[in-house]
Amino acid sequence: MWWRRTLSRSCRWCLGCRHSGAKRIWSFHYRALRSAPAVPAGRITALQALDIWKRHFEEEGVTEAEQSSQYIIAHLLGAKTIESVERQRLTEFLSKEKMEEVWQLCSRRLSRMPVQYIIEEWDFRDLTLKMRPPVFIPRPETEELVELVLTDLKSRSADTETRQTCLEVGCGSGAISLSLLKSLPQLEAFALDRSQDAVDLSRENALRLGLQDRLRVYHMDVIKDAERILGLFSSVSALVSNPPYLFSEDMASLEPEIFRFEDHAALDGGENGLTVIRQILTLASDFLLNSGRVYLEVDPRHPPLIQRWVEENVEGLQYVETQNDISGRPRFCILQKAVT
Amino acid sequence: MSLLIPFTRCLLTVTGRLVRRSAPGLPSLTPPAPSWVAAAGKKELPDLPVVPEEELEEQFVRGSGPGGQATNKTSNCVVLKHIPTGIVVKCHQTRSVDINRKRAREIMRERLDVAYKGELSEVMVKKKESELRKQEKRKRVNENLERKRLFKKTLAADTHIHNKPEDDAV
Repeated sequence: MWWRRTLSRSCRWCLGCRHSGAKRIWSFHYRALRSAPAVPAGRITALQALDIWKRHFEEEGVTEAEQSSQYIIAHLLGAKTIESVERQRLTEFLSKEKMEEVWQLCSRRLSRMPVQYIIEEWDFRDLTLKMRPPVFIPRPETEELVELVLTDLKSRSADTETRQTCLEVGCGSGAISLSLLKSLPQLEAFALDRSQDAVDLSRENALRLGLQDRLRVYHMDVIKDAERILGLFSSVSALVSNPPYLFSEDMASLEPEIFRFEDHAALDGGENGLTVIRQILTLASDFLLNSGRVYLEVDPRHPPLIQRWVEENVEGLQYVETQNDISGRPRFCILQKAVT
Repeated sequence: MSLLIPFTRCLLTVTGRLVRRSAPGLPSLTPPAPSWVAAAGKKELPDLPVVPEEELEEQFVRGSGPGGQATNKTSNCVVLKHIPTGIVVKCHQTRSVDINRKRAREIMRERLDVAYKGELSEVMVKKKESELRKQEKRKRVNENLERKRLFKKTLAADTHIHNKPEDDAV
């Protein structure tokens, strides 16, 4: 091979950030920074770049080595997947500038930054959304949550002429609400998130998609601002949420992509992962129309716990059913406001 | 070429139940078929067989952990198997799992159409039509070229009569 690797791993003092509960602690610490392969002196093709970086990621223990290099390089070539790049473009020489871009972005992957944050976008159903740390990256399971809500809202809109509304708690990048709005031209959506970063990103995505007229995003905490929220929303057809549902004890074993870069507040559901879920269910019937439904994405252990808890503690709500996700895990809880 | 599976089987409408593989130890819960399954059908090829979801086995690997928020992977390859015929479709055309699932089903319908109807399948018919059109076009282009060539020849011949020999250019 005519390119050279740097001979030694560079170790540097660096300003790093780690999470301690909800706070971030900045401190200087000694970290072995992964080093990138030297930028080639001559010209290389995209295919060669793919191979170089795939091998390097593998050597450095970066997960999804092949996919990472493929998505990053495809993105820099203006495509979403490497499969959609013409063969000719893959085999022609990259410009010097392009090659440097490849090196710059791929190097970030060495710190285990998620690909979605590196290329600053990702797809969710038929939408392309902007991504920015530390706002939570939508997971593929949540695409199914949207399908469930759509089926419900579509069947309801057949009966009524009035505009439907939905409320999303913990909107993150806006994926769920924007997806619903895109598919249902008559829908109006309200969304809230306790993180200002998430509120900003949701609004930005709404603007990029031309959906800003039908989405209103609020910077609110469903636990701390419960009183204010109750005054704001009522008579919504559907309440939907992918709330933080991980068990606190499981946070420490998260993969670096998640632990180092995503907002822990978007993940940590407290003891048994039910803290935020319980709050949402407590308030749900105040937001909903009669027979309006709640759609939650949860941990696979949650459905029976939630069902029991609701039966014992929440008079206005009935547990309807549990749905599996594509991997066959119980993932979605559907509840309905009892007719009063 | 066609398999011995009666047409009637593939003309069954989707009955509305989606069977998924459950994780071991968990009860098998059957969510309703996604709304788009009932509406599946490309506009250009409306006669594709409708495949009931019970005949399909779908696989999407999310690792052995709990998935969901606890996992952030970019892999979104969907593997769809048609149980009666054993036909397998893999799709990772897009960055959305949902879209890949829909595409996988569209591709499956096309493959089954070919498997069931062979030469008569929609895909094959379209292919033939496209080939025919290309052949016709090539024929026309060649005819045009030939006509032009002959015209130039006659033109050159005329010029030759009126000019000196060294000005001849074909």
